[in-house]
Amino acid sequence: MIETTTLAGLIKVLFVAIVITAAYIITTRNLLSGVSAYATQSLTLVLIALLLYGIEGSPVLLAIAAITFASKVLIIPYFIASIQEKIRIKRDIEFHFLSPTTSLVVSVALMLLVYIALGRVMAASAIRDNLFFFGAVLGISLMLMGMMVTFSRKRALTKVLGFLSMENGVLLFGLFVTELPFIIEFLIVIDLIILVLLTTILTVGIDSTLEDYHKRLHRFHLWEEEERS
Amino acid sequence: MILLAFALCTLVALAGVIAGRDHRQMNTACIAQSVAFFLLAGWFLLSGQVPATALAIGSQFFFVDHLGIYEVLISTVLFTCAAIYARGYIEGLLESGELQKGSLRLFYAAWALLLLILVLAFLADNLALFWICAELTTIISAMLVAILAARENIDAAIKYIFIASTSMLFSFIGFVFLFEISRTVTGTGTLNWTGLMGIAHTFPAGIATAAFVLVFIGFAAKSGIFPFHTWLPEAHAKAPSAVSAVLSGVLLNVGIYGIIRVYAIIHQTGSSGQVSFLLALFGVLTVGIAAFSMVPQRNLKKLIAFSSVENMGILLVGLAVATPVAIFWMLFHIMAHSFTKASLFFSAGILHRQYRSHLSSEAVDDIRDVFVYQPFAAWGIIIGGLAIIGMPLFPVFWSKFFILRELGTISPVVLFIMLFLLFLAAAALGYFVLTTFTKITDPARIPDIVPYRTPVNMKLPIIFLLALLVIGGLVFTQGEVSFISRIVAELRF
Repeated sequence: MIETTTLAGLIKVLFVAIVITAAYIITTRNLLSGVSAYATQSLTLVLIALLLYGIEGSPVLLAIAAITFASKVLIIPYFIASIQEKIRIKRDIEFHFLSPTTSLVVSVALMLLVYIALGRVMAASAIRDNLFFFGAVLGISLMLMGMMVTFSRKRALTKVLGFLSMENGVLLFGLFVTELPFIIEFLIVIDLIILVLLTTILTVGIDSTLEDYHKRLHRFHLWEEEERS
Repeated sequence: MILLAFALCTLVALAGVIAGRDHRQMNTACIAQSVAFFLLAGWFLLSGQVPATALAIGSQFFFVDHLGIYEVLISTVLFTCAAIYARGYIEGLLESGELQKGSLRLFYAAWALLLLILVLAFLADNLALFWICAELTTIISAMLVAILAARENIDAAIKYIFIASTSMLFSFIGFVFLFEISRTVTGTGTLNWTGLMGIAHTFPAGIATAAFVLVFIGFAAKSGIFPFHTWLPEAHAKAPSAVSAVLSGVLLNVGIYGIIRVYAIIHQTGSSGQVSFLLALFGVLTVGIAAFSMVPQRNLKKLIAFSSVENMGILLVGLAVATPVAIFWMLFHIMAHSFTKASLFFSAGILHRQYRSHLSSEAVDDIRDVFVYQPFAAWGIIIGGLAIIGMPLFPVFWSKFFILRELGTISPVVLFIMLFLLFLAAAALGYFVLTTFTKITDPARIPDIVPYRTPVNMKLPIIFLLALLVIGGLVFTQGEVSFISRIVAELRF
């Protein structure tokens, strides 16, 4: 059995990995590497859940690790990557409002803000120690960073990535703050999969309606000509 | 057991939709489902089983109280009306080629599933379960918006999903907070609403407020509260009108329902003052934004959608006042708004079928000569419009009047602002009707409009809802009053 302090140390290292993947998702212009960054982030979460199991020994954590691995490391990234092949969008270079550098600066500011705010709110509750507090802060920060991606990118696929990253933040927060019943985690994953399915299919829909769009445009011109003649 | 009955009805309806050979059969399956739901809920209420605990229901995650059954009844009535309306409306979409025949099955399957999940959401005792049901309703209803597969429909649906779902994640964090608070208090932790209500008075105020604020963000987005309302006019205007009615009349209630439930918990703690202020602030801002957006609006369906935003604001203000009388009328307003708004969307749907632009789906409907081509729908809009702005003797009048009266006892200044904004919104609606309904084509010009023959089943729901509104505004039965009073008592206001 490894000592608890070693495990806690390892978790802290993984925290850094999560921050790096989040920053990568925010700044990348290449969709495919965004997806692999997301898969890496999810894998990190799986590892964290396993290490937490080492500390707390609650079997729910094992179940969470398993379901996260299956859904977020394997199924969802694979699905997004295959959709992306289909619609041949490789890059999302458009940023609304925020450039990548500004986003990074904003994220740092957000983290500080969350740290201060959460410190105040949590003062009343029995948050156990530093590690758990940091986990909660990181969870919410990850959520806000994901939200920034969702609202600052143009392509629906990148928005999905942002949303997924937000959801990872929620999971992280849940892991460190409290022990939710497993059924809830399970239902969230189901919800997530349906959402990803729908939004990506809709994205393909946008692509396929383009032809229809041209048809309508064409009709419009015809009509104009008729009126002129 | 009742849950099983609901699920069984849905299964039968789904089987009907899948086996259905044509549009009529699928539609009949959905009408039958909503009627069965209504009868089931009505029977459950009348047989005196409400409030039912976990044991009577058969699952610890669910319960039936008066608020839940109230929302279920409103939803099933509206779903029945909307399904009957869809019979004619969807037929029109199929004929004009706006809806592919292949999508029909998906449309009705999603429709049937949406009703089941809505009912489960309203009967969920466990808040996390409620959250997931609410989230699923977003996804399924977005599918109904996108079913027309036009680009702007898909854009509207995607916007709806992203705004509602990302905000709902904040709600989830809020629920995690609530769970953690209850765990600190009791040692085991619960997310069951009934359990939380029992121990709420022991919650520390600060963290309870934080939990409420987080929950509020998500459900505010779901019900189109400022500043998360931006998805609403797009989605409601682009959706097929039968779906718009359901979105406005039922789906928005889910968000408000969530806010009511969690507010009832927070109301027991010491922090209800701050939370009330927050609700009032966002309520007034929402009404304001909606009123000012309505003034320049030339698109009828968007105008009606903004009116929904306005009414959600009124509900928040009613909730913020939090006196038993205000809560009573806030609950009444939920029903009044749902029925009125559905009838308006139905009428607007007929006008849209008649006057929609054949060149671009983005173009504003070119409404003229309404009393020649569509007198029925025109009167539907006029009467429904009078009802929604709160003309005396319509149900909305009573709820607005009493909510504002209660508001006046707390803050005359806010009352004055609200009156001004409500007047502005009413004027915007009146101005729209006056300018567009009086447009008459020059008789010398050869008419280029092909009259749209409105099927009877599109008119029936409108007649039914308007009749319901007229009666509902004139007659208050003892049963109705005691029913809503029971809800107020169960929410402990």
